[in-house]
Amino acid sequence: MLALRINRCRCSHASRTLARTYSTESSIPALPPGAKWKVEFPIQNTLRRERPVMHNPESAREVARSFLSKPAIADGGKIVIEAFPGPGALSRAMLELPESKLSKLIILEDDPVYLNGLKPLEEADSRVKVVPMSGHVWDTYTHLEEHGYLEGLKPQPIEGPIPNLHFVAHLPQSVKGEQLIAQLFRCIPEQSWLFQYGRVPMSFLLNNLMYGRVTARPKAKARCKLSVIAEACAEVEDAVDPEMLAPYEEHFYPLPAASGIQKPSTKRVGQPMHAITATPYSEQVIQRGEIDKWDYCLRRLFVLKTTPLKTALSSLAPGATSLLKDLTSGGLPSSQRVNVAKTIKDLTVADWTLILRAFNNWPFRPEDLMITDGFKDSE
Amino acid sequence: MHDFLRRRSEYTILPTPVPEDSTDETRLLFTDSTSQDLVAVMEACLHNLHDVPRAKQIFEGLRQSGRGDKLIDARLYNHFISAYIEMATSKDSAHRAVWLEDAWALYNDMEQSREHIQPNANTYALMLIAWLRFNPDTPNGVNLGSDAHDPISLLRNIIHRQIAPALVVSDRAFTTDEEATEAIKALSRAAVQMGLSSVVNELGLADSLGRQQDDPLENVPEAVPVVKVKTLPDIEVKRAEDGSVTALEPHAPIKLEGEVPFNLETLRRHLGNVILHRRILAEDVGLRQRLLEQSVYNVAVERMKRQAELFDQLGLPKQGLHSTDLKTWMWHWHVKLESRIEAEIKNLEIEERIIDRLKRKHKDHVQLTPLLNLLKPEKLSLITILEVMHLHGSGGVQDGMKTARALLSVGRAVESEIKAEMAKKHNVPLPTAASVGDGNVFSSVGYRELHDQRVAARKLIEDAEDWTNAEWTQLVRVKVGSFLVDCLMDVATVQRSMKDPRTGEIIYEEQPAFFHSYEYQRGHKLGVIKFNPAVAERMSKDPIAETLHPRHLPMLVKPKPWLSYNNGGYLYNRTWAMRFKESREQELYLRHASDAGRLELVFAGLDVLGSTPWKVNRRVFDVVLEVWNSGKRYPKIPPAVPDEPEPERPPNMEFDNKAKAVYIERQKAWQQAKASNHSDRCSVNYKVEIARAFLGDTIYFPHNVDFRGRAYPIPPHLSHIGDDLSRGLLLFGEAKPLGARGLRWLKIHLANLVGYDKASFDERVQYVHDHLDDIYDSAERPLEGRQWWTKADDPWQCLATCIELRSALESPDPEAYECALPVHQDGTCNGLQHYAALGGDAVGAAQVNLAAAERPSDVYTYVAQMVEQSIQADLERGDKAPHYAKLLAGKISRKVVKQTVMTTVYGVTFIGARDQIERQLKDRGDIPPEECWLAAAYLAKKVLASIGDLFTGAKEIQNWLNLCARLIAKSIPQDRLISAFQAETAGTPKRGKRSSQPRWKKEQMTSVVWTTPLGLPIVQPYRAVKRKQVMTSLQSVFISDPNVPSTVNAAKQASAFPPNFIHSLDATHMMLTALECRSQGLTFASVHDSYWTHAGSIDQMNAIIRDTFIALHSSDVLSALAQEFRERYANYKVPLSALTGAAFKHLKLNPEQLDISPEDIEALSDESVVRAAEAEEQAEESQALLGDEDDADVELAADAEAADAEGEGKKPKKKRAKSAPKAKDRKSKEEIEKRLEGKFVNLVDVLPPLPEKGKFDVKAIKDSLYFFS
Repeated sequence: MLALRINRCRCSHASRTLARTYSTESSIPALPPGAKWKVEFPIQNTLRRERPVMHNPESAREVARSFLSKPAIADGGKIVIEAFPGPGALSRAMLELPESKLSKLIILEDDPVYLNGLKPLEEADSRVKVVPMSGHVWDTYTHLEEHGYLEGLKPQPIEGPIPNLHFVAHLPQSVKGEQLIAQLFRCIPEQSWLFQYGRVPMSFLLNNLMYGRVTARPKAKARCKLSVIAEACAEVEDAVDPEMLAPYEEHFYPLPAASGIQKPSTKRVGQPMHAITATPYSEQVIQRGEIDKWDYCLRRLFVLKTTPLKTALSSLAPGATSLLKDLTSGGLPSSQRVNVAKTIKDLTVADWTLILRAFNNWPFRPEDLMITDGFKDSE
Repeated sequence: MHDFLRRRSEYTILPTPVPEDSTDETRLLFTDSTSQDLVAVMEACLHNLHDVPRAKQIFEGLRQSGRGDKLIDARLYNHFISAYIEMATSKDSAHRAVWLEDAWALYNDMEQSREHIQPNANTYALMLIAWLRFNPDTPNGVNLGSDAHDPISLLRNIIHRQIAPALVVSDRAFTTDEEATEAIKALSRAAVQMGLSSVVNELGLADSLGRQQDDPLENVPEAVPVVKVKTLPDIEVKRAEDGSVTALEPHAPIKLEGEVPFNLETLRRHLGNVILHRRILAEDVGLRQRLLEQSVYNVAVERMKRQAELFDQLGLPKQGLHSTDLKTWMWHWHVKLESRIEAEIKNLEIEERIIDRLKRKHKDHVQLTPLLNLLKPEKLSLITILEVMHLHGSGGVQDGMKTARALLSVGRAVESEIKAEMAKKHNVPLPTAASVGDGNVFSSVGYRELHDQRVAARKLIEDAEDWTNAEWTQLVRVKVGSFLVDCLMDVATVQRSMKDPRTGEIIYEEQPAFFHSYEYQRGHKLGVIKFNPAVAERMSKDPIAETLHPRHLPMLVKPKPWLSYNNGGYLYNRTWAMRFKESREQELYLRHASDAGRLELVFAGLDVLGSTPWKVNRRVFDVVLEVWNSGKRYPKIPPAVPDEPEPERPPNMEFDNKAKAVYIERQKAWQQAKASNHSDRCSVNYKVEIARAFLGDTIYFPHNVDFRGRAYPIPPHLSHIGDDLSRGLLLFGEAKPLGARGLRWLKIHLANLVGYDKASFDERVQYVHDHLDDIYDSAERPLEGRQWWTKADDPWQCLATCIELRSALESPDPEAYECALPVHQDGTCNGLQHYAALGGDAVGAAQVNLAAAERPSDVYTYVAQMVEQSIQADLERGDKAPHYAKLLAGKISRKVVKQTVMTTVYGVTFIGARDQIERQLKDRGDIPPEECWLAAAYLAKKVLASIGDLFTGAKEIQNWLNLCARLIAKSIPQDRLISAFQAETAGTPKRGKRSSQPRWKKEQMTSVVWTTPLGLPIVQPYRAVKRKQVMTSLQSVFISDPNVPSTVNAAKQASAFPPNFIHSLDATHMMLTALECRSQGLTFASVHDSYWTHAGSIDQMNAIIRDTFIALHSSDVLSALAQEFRERYANYKVPLSALTGAAFKHLKLNPEQLDISPEDIEALSDESVVRAAEAEEQAEESQALLGDEDDADVELAADAEAADAEGEGKKPKKKRAKSAPKAKDRKSKEEIEKRLEGKFVNLVDVLPPLPEKGKFDVKAIKDSLYFFS
């Protein structure tokens, strides 16, 4: 099984033939060709415009297979929760996989137009459940649990093996999308959301900008709060070669607007896309219950991302420069000291862990770590 | 008044600003920031002869380049002459001859008017001194040959310039009595030699006036047995056109009395009296105000010091920073900061000396030390601390402030303190307000009188002041502010203690009192300075009034009358008659109009508003204080400890994200509520403290106007424009008997305050009679009783009225009761009233009570009913009825639509209306919160449509105003257009980086300017925002430089014009009413469209309100506006492309009419640039108004890096557009003009016709009871 998967990844010819084999087995109603989507699934609102979804069945197959084969689970097929599927090109590709790979597909979609493309799947394949709710709302997941959609799920402890649950999503290209992925990563150390069932892998299709943020290493320009949390919590890997998803127009819908003047180009649909899978580590550096403190420190300090830590510390909280002695004291073993001349974006996860330890030990640390924007309501 | 308003107004017309990169002459009309900085430095160097050679160097540079022309006047020349003479006399007497040579050279330049600057009395006085001290016959004599003038020559020039010799010898240049006597002698001798007997007489009179003893009992009314016989001779004053005195002629022979020594002060005062025809402010009355304004920082430091000493004496442990008392902390900061500033200034001096020697300087480099050295480090330290403390919670920042604002404010405070110090150097006499009541100010004679008085007073004041015109630029303010704030943040610390959660022991940590941080606001990173929590906590508790600068406080004497656009209000703190919105253009128009004498009535109106006396309502204050000290929650007074329970943590939030999200949402709301409770507490603290400070005093609120002409009191904390609490705390300074009608109005007023204001007057009176029991209970036992007053719409004013009403009714003769409570008359939807009157719209007029009716009509209720009907119509469609029709049917109350109706006239957009309605729906509580947003959208559409149906007249006028503004904002003056195209032809493209926009796009600099019926020019400030990055040690700050003109924001110019125009009208109506009330002897105050007077005067004021409204609207305001546009924009051209699309439709124009070929339009509208620009504008338009009230003056990005990141999105889009004109036909001027023919049209040709006026006759309001009620 493992060997086979590696083969498929390396050799696209082989994968294509294999994929075809699957497709003959299924009786899934096909979607209209990508060129006709404009008519079938018209873009009438910004909500839909901001959600790039795959339309090319071939690349969808490639992505689906890659998502569901890695990381592998011990036995049986996976239960997949798919959010923001659009009309369902990727869903169809996943359904082409055998029961041993995919035992259940729970589709979350609240867009009535897209639901037209998804509803037929429920009739064609008994593994499919279409839930007309948004993947962006916590209620949806409570709903899944309460209505028995997760039957057959084998929960695991967070230190344990990968459970047979997998989350797949096209990430919406809006502020909401950015918030969503950040929140999902923050759920890992808290073991909330799906992570109450163990180290559930998450696979995303996301644009260049977000990809850069999630994967940025220390010193990278895109390094941000999300990069640190993602790096601390999960192993993030490319699922397919991004070349395979280029150019955008051949694989994704909707097409970029002809000549927009509203938004800078990096925020518009039409950028290069990536497919990634994030697998939570069995050992977490962020302790349960500590995420708010991490979040507070990261948020405050990343405001000054090109400033050396020793200077930036003063804006962490009133009097926070007194943390310096905890970070640099000669009495500490060198592995527990932080080079405070490093700029914020250059700090490693290890550095951050030490900063957080010092913050935690500081009696004057602010009590209110709430993410308020510091401005009064009225203004 | 009618005739005055119908007169042909004189417009103030100035050239349109030109783009920054233009080399046009008119550019000089606007000074550039560099020159302005230089002038500020120069002035600082001159001050106390700090560095005269350096000042001279700058001065000569400015004179040669001509760049400082707009900033330099005769007073500055005099300042230099005086400095040169002083150098020769004392500081640098070794080089006496050189300095004197310079002084005489400057004088000769003035005599020859080389730079359009002419000598005045002060100049001659100075030259007389120069001659007296250094003529060749004196011990220090210097022979300067023909450059120097002797008294004969000087006198000849004096007479030639029609300056009274008496004014010369009494000039402030003379500092000793001896020198003045000498001068009189010298001039008299010269006059004798020249045979000028009248001059000899005049000087003799001056001498005798100087020997006249002041009668100390002059103003005492009682008969006093021995009074010195006064022998003031009659004097006839001859004045030139501008009000300056040309001659003083005694009518009676002068009797010299005994041996009274000559005294300059006395002479000056007498002359002042004579010139102004009225008493000069008595010293003792003004003394406290003078003290208040002069010595705030000295007083503050004394208080803090005393408290610290007191602690020492009491043998209390030297708590110092351990103490949690704000004043003690501030004292400790001050001690440290003072020495820090002193040391830092020394460092800076060395640094600047080095930089000064460098050839290449940074373009932002400004010498700060000459400015900083003007004040003692002690004062600089105090200013910094007090200013930063005062900014607590400003700009919406919780427990902090925006960095840019802090730096600017500190810089500005230093600037104004320097100015105030300069002003008080001389004993400036103060004129009292012009007496409006004396004559009819609307007649040409009366108006002229007013003007003459003001000009004379202004001259007197200006002559007595040093030249202090050098306003600092934003850059200098920020640099000075940054220098000081940086020092403060470095030295100010507090000690916090905390129980260690692990060991349980108390630990101390010394922390900075302020720290710098960043916050995100609407996605923008903003630098903020925050208070340490320990300090912030004290801000809502400790007495803080003494941290206030007097410009934040009411005045103890009548404000200084407005003498010019920047002189009036507070005695020593410079205040402007208008609050500019970072717009040099506004200031320029105001200055020109003021200089041309077109603003007399505006100034007089402001004087009337400022001279209304007030006092603190002691009985209400006592109740407020009791509530405040109890810490309990009361209406408008937040509790000392927030009383809302913290939301509970749900047990399942560990894994249930939904529960967690809800909890976080609630927690956030709770935090917000807590924070706003804290900031409300701080703001009430100010009000209570100020009220306490002025208990028992008669106080005054100096006023100025915003750029639309609406008047506001200047003190920000406690004034009648404030909230219900502020208003409840204030009474008129004088009480007047109620009379029968007054008693009735008092009752109606009470009903209005409770909120029972829709009924007829009789019903309102009946309402009060029905609630007398409650009213008495409220008045007698405000806190212990049933507290009926707390349920009123305006509880504190209601309480004040309950108290007054009870006192009146309990007094033996209620109608004779003397009442000082202001009673209000409010316009019912005043904006719509003006629209209805403008349009003669009978239907609309009836809705807003312009027409007489039995009962008041309420436009809000009416609109609510219209909407309800429309919903019913939707419901009749049965199954097809929209979901929201069912949801909302029967729920459309007056309240739901009120705000939207009120604001439509001020141009609320659909988005704005939806948000307003959503808030109201949520407040109702009977609509599921998640449905509110879409329901509000459904409703907003209906409300806006209903208003449109109801006020068709208003809609049409709005459209007309909008369209005119749209065209004006797109227009370009003809000469600019021609030179723009010439520039395009001639200019060699620089490095290919030039913007590809056609040049004329850059020339769209025309803002909408109009003149109110009172003559005030209104300039809309909306332009493209250009900010300059200034690096400071804290962060880099982005500030706008009002000296750099940029293109207009056409969309905003258009969308803001209708509301601004209506505001300029309601402001005019208010000013007319104020003037008329004054001339009829009524006390008057106003909050925009709410007019206040004594209860007994309401009937009289009501008649005035109606008269002024009729007079205003009988003058055919809109035609006058159209006429003004035609004249003002006579030579302006509009690009055809601006007329495409919807605009054409509105205008009902067709190309043929304008003699334009369709191809031309095609060619122009094809330009992608135009398209893009239009699209951009439309996108902007929807939110154009939203930013209006923002304090958009400062905004900043964080550090350079943030600027980079943002820059990506903000850089002007470089659109490679093919500009239509081809190079080959860019030849001569004629050709250009020819080519333009097809592409630009005259603005005046395309201005739309005025909407037709309806039949409603505005005179009908005479009979409308409820017009203002």
